Amino acid sequence: MATLAPYSNKGGVGKTATAVNLSYLAARTGVKTLIWDLDPQSSATYYFRVKPKLKSGTKGFIKGRKHVYKSIKGTDYENLDLLPADFSLRNLDAIFAKLRRSKQRLKKILKPFKDQYDLIILDCPVTISILAENILNAVDYTLVPLIPTTLSVRTHRQLLSFCEKNNYETGKIYTFFSMVDRHKKMHHDLMANVSKEFDGVLQSFIPYLAQIEKMGIHREPVAAFSPRSVAAKAYQNLWEKVQETILRGCDGQRNRTKI
Amino acid sequence: MISELADQYAIKKEPAISESFAIYDTFDWRLFNKSLVLYGSGNNLFLRKLAKSEIIHTIEITSFPFFIWDFPDGKLKKQLVPIIKMRALLKLVEVHCRATTYHILNQDEKTVTRLAYEEILPSRKKNASALTAHLWLKPVKGYPQYSRNLAKRLEEAGFVISKKEDIYFKALEVVDKKPGSYSAKLNIQLEPDMRSDDATKVILHFLLHVMKINEVNIEKDLDTEFLHDFRVAIRRTRSALGQIKNVFPLGTTNRFKKDFVFVGKLSNQLRDLDVYLLKEDTYKAMLPPVLRNDIDPLFKYLRQKRSKELQNVINGLRSKKYAKILHDWEAFLNEPKDDTATAANARLPVIYLARKRIYVKYRGVVKAGNLILEDTEDEMLHVLRIQCKKLRYLMEFFSSLFPLKKISVLIEQLKKLQDNLGNFNDLRVQEEYLLNITKKLPVTHQQLKKTLVAIGSLIGTLDRERQTVKDAFATTFTHFASPANRKLFRELFASKS
Repeated sequence: MATLAPYSNKGGVGKTATAVNLSYLAARTGVKTLIWDLDPQSSATYYFRVKPKLKSGTKGFIKGRKHVYKSIKGTDYENLDLLPADFSLRNLDAIFAKLRRSKQRLKKILKPFKDQYDLIILDCPVTISILAENILNAVDYTLVPLIPTTLSVRTHRQLLSFCEKNNYETGKIYTFFSMVDRHKKMHHDLMANVSKEFDGVLQSFIPYLAQIEKMGIHREPVAAFSPRSVAAKAYQNLWEKVQETILRGCDGQRNRTKI
Repeated sequence: MISELADQYAIKKEPAISESFAIYDTFDWRLFNKSLVLYGSGNNLFLRKLAKSEIIHTIEITSFPFFIWDFPDGKLKKQLVPIIKMRALLKLVEVHCRATTYHILNQDEKTVTRLAYEEILPSRKKNASALTAHLWLKPVKGYPQYSRNLAKRLEEAGFVISKKEDIYFKALEVVDKKPGSYSAKLNIQLEPDMRSDDATKVILHFLLHVMKINEVNIEKDLDTEFLHDFRVAIRRTRSALGQIKNVFPLGTTNRFKKDFVFVGKLSNQLRDLDVYLLKEDTYKAMLPPVLRNDIDPLFKYLRQKRSKELQNVINGLRSKKYAKILHDWEAFLNEPKDDTATAANARLPVIYLARKRIYVKYRGVVKAGNLILEDTEDEMLHVLRIQCKKLRYLMEFFSSLFPLKKISVLIEQLKKLQDNLGNFNDLRVQEEYLLNITKKLPVTHQQLKKTLVAIGSLIGTLDRERQTVKDAFATTFTHFASPANRKLFRELFASKS
């Protein structure tokens, strides 16, 4: 059992595409997977053609257990379920803030589902507020898609220093490169430098591809509607790296190697 | 039919998928009894729960592991060890199936329920005609109304829908195998007012059946448990003949008692060897690491001896004498009801005889146990062990005549005592055996010395363990002979007339 959150405090880096494709690929290998859409924009929910609606709204979401369970939908793929997003999730930050142990709330909601699924993937909105801390507390691993640009790298440094200041284990944070333009020298240079600077950089990247954007048209993971495409292969490779380096032996202890 | 549905629903058809896999279990359905399905496809072995599609564990294999010790270390092995134990995994059926899945879509073109048409084929050939076919309705979580509606519609149209059933059952049906059909456990249904001789014959019939099923498999030497179950059935038969007294003519009883002693003896040696060979890993673990490999010549010797002994047993089972015994025995069991039966208990309602025999035996066990002190000879513990075994068999033969819960409690209590006595006896016999075998080991001089040291060390460990087991006897027995159990025994079995 493992929980994984593609997360970034910068928008438009490919979090949702990562969550959607990794969850699909995981389910296809027989891993019982739940993708949990926390983003009020509900893009992941949209990709799976599910209505963005939680049966008892945020109230039920906070209560957890059966209130959340009854909202879970089966996707078009075996072994893959989805907890849809709901527009009201936009208030989640404010609601968490008012509650006691406000940074542990999501962890508490997630807990009963850990027994039911082998893998839970959280699709997170852009945040570095209280919700972000909830996510960091709730999941085993965070996977940050990094565009090889100066700003993106800067934001990642911000995240790491935020984690250090607030005592979040930075060892739980892995990164990989996303939306890579292979023709740009700058991307190559940055990638080389970043791999040296940070720990936990997976040696796998997702190129910038139109195929991935077409997910919005097909409303399917790219690995499903175009399994032989470069994009699908890139996600397959990422999933393999995630399995090898993050999830291997994740029954309790992790096996972190510096890569 | 699908085209008819297409008028009402948006349907997406998936390309047909052909799959071949083989399902495995032990002869006595150990995996099935735990609701597990082990199946292999290509180079992979999968374990899943019955009626569930999620895979619990997968491993890659190069050749099929017939025994648990052939499995690569890992979670799958860990889960199966306590279930399969020493039994071989047998291929139950090879399944070739072709499935076409239809997705029923809602207005967002999202799959809201799946309908699968699955055919089981006799071979991998593409144009093979199906042996059996069925429709599955697979609801999608969160969209129950769609599958409900569809189920209704299909049923109205006269289709049979499989909902929770598993292809496991369908595939076994094809080869005419019934999951759980064999168990070495006694499963005998008696009525309290049955005549005692008839009831005894029901018991003996069941045991003969177990003997016959296992006998044919002993020759194949798939695993050690066919012989074991065969022998237990013989022992139970002898016990029934001896303990359910005066139901058959004395001459008949005596003749068959003697016959089954003979049949049992045929395989005594082979069973002993099996036991030692099964213990190979345990024995090695008992030895200090420096001696572990030195014991190998012993096991090599035992293995050689076993293959000769197996041949002896096979010859014995093929002998005319054996055939005649079984033939006469079956003929006797099939004799029509004898209204002129003269044996004293023949026509007694079985409930009376059952109560009486169990109660007498129970009191005998308690009496014998009470006489055992710390310095009592080991032989007495052996005698008590045999008494317990007879009591256990009697209770199991007749268990259907008594309230299930209560008699199960007592059997469980007795079992604990038997385990203690059994362990003690096993250790004693093993020590003796090992001591004797040192004289027979054909090893070269230098090796011999080392092997002897290893055997000596083993005997030491076994002896210490035996002392521990003996020390535990007093407590175990006190539990068994507790006032609460005594009361329950009296309640169930003390004569009420």
